[in-house]
Amino acid sequence: MRSPLLVGERLYLRAMEAGDAEVIAQIDAAETDTFMWRSRVPTSPMEHVDSITEMYKHQPPRYIWLAVCLKDGDRFIGNVGVVDIDWLHRTGETASQLGPAEVRGKEYGTEAKHLLLEYCFDRLHLHVLTSEVDEPNTRSAAALAKQGYRPAGRRRWADVKDGRYVDALVFDLTRAEWLAARDAWRARRAAGVTPR
Amino acid sequence: MGSDATLRPLQDLRPVYLLGSRVYLRAMVEADKERGAAWLDETFPVNAARAEAALKEEHRGWGWRRSSRRLAIALAEDEEVVGSARVSSHNGYRTCRLTFVMAPWRDDADALRAEALELLVRWLRDENELMVVTADLPADERATIAAAEALGMVRNARLREWFGRPGGRVDCLVYQALNPRWEVRDA
Repeated sequence: MRSPLLVGERLYLRAMEAGDAEVIAQIDAAETDTFMWRSRVPTSPMEHVDSITEMYKHQPPRYIWLAVCLKDGDRFIGNVGVVDIDWLHRTGETASQLGPAEVRGKEYGTEAKHLLLEYCFDRLHLHVLTSEVDEPNTRSAAALAKQGYRPAGRRRWADVKDGRYVDALVFDLTRAEWLAARDAWRARRAAGVTPR
Repeated sequence: MGSDATLRPLQDLRPVYLLGSRVYLRAMVEADKERGAAWLDETFPVNAARAEAALKEEHRGWGWRRSSRRLAIALAEDEEVVGSARVSSHNGYRTCRLTFVMAPWRDDADALRAEALELLVRWLRDENELMVVTADLPADERATIAAAEALGMVRNARLREWFGRPGGRVDCLVYQALNPRWEVRDA
């Protein structure tokens, strides 16, 4: 493991490095799913280098993206982050992107998100987080619910999908709720129950 | 503050369509750097040099090509800058989000913001034809919330315990003005 910030059972999180930009662009190019966003977009390593470099220019940062790596083989498989951080009100919006598709469906996303939430609540001492998904993205909405997020409403006509304007579903998660969800998740894993 | 001779030419910058009874909104000008604490939403203290740098950064590029545009909220009576409103969009101004900063020393900030919201929503929804105008409002800003509801804005989300206040926290209420002139095939 390379300078891990948080370590889970199968994954660890570390700071993003400029060298990750190439892999992120490759993950974007290999994307097979289309339901999560309006469309797929080819990205350049240059724009990811710029984003990563920009993140470290500000202290405290305005957004934090962390690299998600498999402990086995030390493979980078995506990132999780908190953006629009308000350091006074102690809030932020979480997001994640794991890929390529072959790494999905193995609970890596849930484990990475739990590590991110631990970072946000226990290290940054944020008080409440939000997250949004486009309404057709039922998989991500279900994942948020499983991680303890609660429905907070919607933002109307947020994007376009299949010829229609679709809403963004809004979720929030307080620190107290996270602690309860984390303990339940840990208990299930200790009991050998694979959360689905 | 209104007797400041350097502010007199600002009367020429008053948009006739963003003028209310107590406040008006106008483009930011270089002289606003002297009142950064009234309009710049930064975590730490803002001096004139920092405010000037922020103004320059925010004025790169032309008009609506920028993804964000800040307008000064000034008193109609004497030009005093009492806050700012930022109009942000990530989709070419099909929709936008409003963010307000009010001078911390104004006891009437809520009422002034309420009037600014009325001016902005009418301008953005009814003249600029934006589909959705969104404002994330703290639940304790009652005058602004009343103005939003009077404008026909609908509360579509509530983020719990979002804003810190002395001794507690308040929710964030997400109000949205949907443009009725758009014919939208809902999902």
